Amino acid sequence: MKRAKIVQKRFLGTSFVELWLEEKDIAHLASPGQFVMVTTGSSYDPFLKRPLGILACQENQFGLLFEIVGRGTQILSQLEIGDQVDLLGPLGNGFSLNPKEALLIGGGRGFVPLYFLAQIFINKKVPFQFFFGIRSQEEKVLIEYLSQLPIPLVISCQEEFSGFYCGTVLDAFENWRQQHSLSKSAPKIYACGPQGMFQTLAKMDDIIPNQIEVSLESRMGCGYGVCLSCAVKKKGLPGYFHVCKDGPVFRLGEIEL
Amino acid sequence: MNLQVHLGNLTLSNPIILASGTAGYGREIAPYLDLDRVGAFTLKGLSSTPWVGNPPPRIHETYAGIMNSIGLENKGFDRFFREDLPFLENFQTKIIANIWGKTIEEYSDIAKKMNGLERIDAIEVNVSCPNIEQGGESFSSNGQVLCQLIQNLRQKIQKPLIVKLGPNTDDLNNVLQFMEKEGVDILSITNTFPALAIDVENQSYIFSRKTAGLSGPAIKPLALKLVYDVIQRTRLPIIGMGGIMKTEDALEYFLIGAQAVALGSVNLIDPSAAVQIIEGIKTYLVQKNIFDINDLIGKVR
Repeated sequence: MKRAKIVQKRFLGTSFVELWLEEKDIAHLASPGQFVMVTTGSSYDPFLKRPLGILACQENQFGLLFEIVGRGTQILSQLEIGDQVDLLGPLGNGFSLNPKEALLIGGGRGFVPLYFLAQIFINKKVPFQFFFGIRSQEEKVLIEYLSQLPIPLVISCQEEFSGFYCGTVLDAFENWRQQHSLSKSAPKIYACGPQGMFQTLAKMDDIIPNQIEVSLESRMGCGYGVCLSCAVKKKGLPGYFHVCKDGPVFRLGEIEL
Repeated sequence: MNLQVHLGNLTLSNPIILASGTAGYGREIAPYLDLDRVGAFTLKGLSSTPWVGNPPPRIHETYAGIMNSIGLENKGFDRFFREDLPFLENFQTKIIANIWGKTIEEYSDIAKKMNGLERIDAIEVNVSCPNIEQGGESFSSNGQVLCQLIQNLRQKIQKPLIVKLGPNTDDLNNVLQFMEKEGVDILSITNTFPALAIDVENQSYIFSRKTAGLSGPAIKPLALKLVYDVIQRTRLPIIGMGGIMKTEDALEYFLIGAQAVALGSVNLIDPSAAVQIIEGIKTYLVQKNIFDINDLIGKVR
């Protein structure tokens, strides 16, 4: 198990928190799509660590960004600069990093691993387009991350919100597809967001689910493949994958959602 | 200092065991824990043929504990043999195979296969998983059926035979007498406790099979009481388990008379916990001026 010190913290609105932690190995080894399991304290209550996606790495530090969705993340949101946390990581299989061209589609907190991926693509000079969808104005605090990057960006909001496409991120993606004829070597699609977004994406015209990489979120017990809690059904085959070990990045066509 | 313990004809270099289903087949936990440091390592439960397990959700957190309904998902004997057994050859530690089946014939089949493997040091029979329809707990909730199963397996298993009993074992007195008579070597006490959780938002059960097994520190005093109850009624050596998180928890089990303890849920949140607990036991023995851990076992009567 590793121990990391919190070196930066900020709230984004009331429900998102960005933490930066100092841990050399994780910062050097982590790849977009991978995650860490973070302890919520030493009282055994909550009992389990929490899986959190990695936002970025810089020198000996790595960033996490999470939404407060329950008791565990509430406790994590109360950590302060200088506090130490126990963690495991980096865990799981990340995204493939060598497409000729890419489209990144993120919904809500699902933008976290894609933001990390976007930074790698910028460094590797992979051309890409980023689509980012938020449900409500509450989530607009997340936009600043992407608007700071020198990338072509389409933002959608399901509430009326001036300057942005009104609808889901997939509505915005479809609209963009109709206006742009995609090059012959179809760009590789990377997506992360809520389950409904994946289900809709898999059914869209001219989409080949087996060529799309998605990063899944799941409740986990251990994060390293022993408890088998994070089961996701295999498509067309008996049995389950385990998000922590077989994923969290899967081909959209290989999982049943 | 002596940490070596003898559970019947199974000798362990120290009394700390990794419980089945919380350490995989070795390869998963090996990056975090030197398997040769633990007294024994119990494999995730295996059946003769692969088993897909239960649909999600499979886990639910409670106050200081977790409920699980994995449903004994496993890759089956053949894949274990190909993918995991060669890795286990790299270690000296004792390896306990945990087995289960839906029928006596299935139990018997996997028992024979495991009995034939040189690398396997003992076989633990799971008759207490609360999360499947057939097999598991359905065997220990009927004393007669359980005795029939054990009688059958004893004939097939020459290695030390461990029976893992859960909290709801039917007719415990008679079952324990029968185990002794049939030559069971060791008992594992206990398994997860059958438990229930409700999704208040959706006004439904959390788990598709309604009940699930509770483990973690929340059950430790209950599990300790079960171990105490069994110790009063049998001469068989006991591996105590349930909610052990740190050295003091393990010591409670030893003091009440368990010859070894198994760590379960703690491995999920700290895969290297076993080493800290072993070191903690050494420190305790030094403080108490005790040379041999066996002098501690059963000190509280």
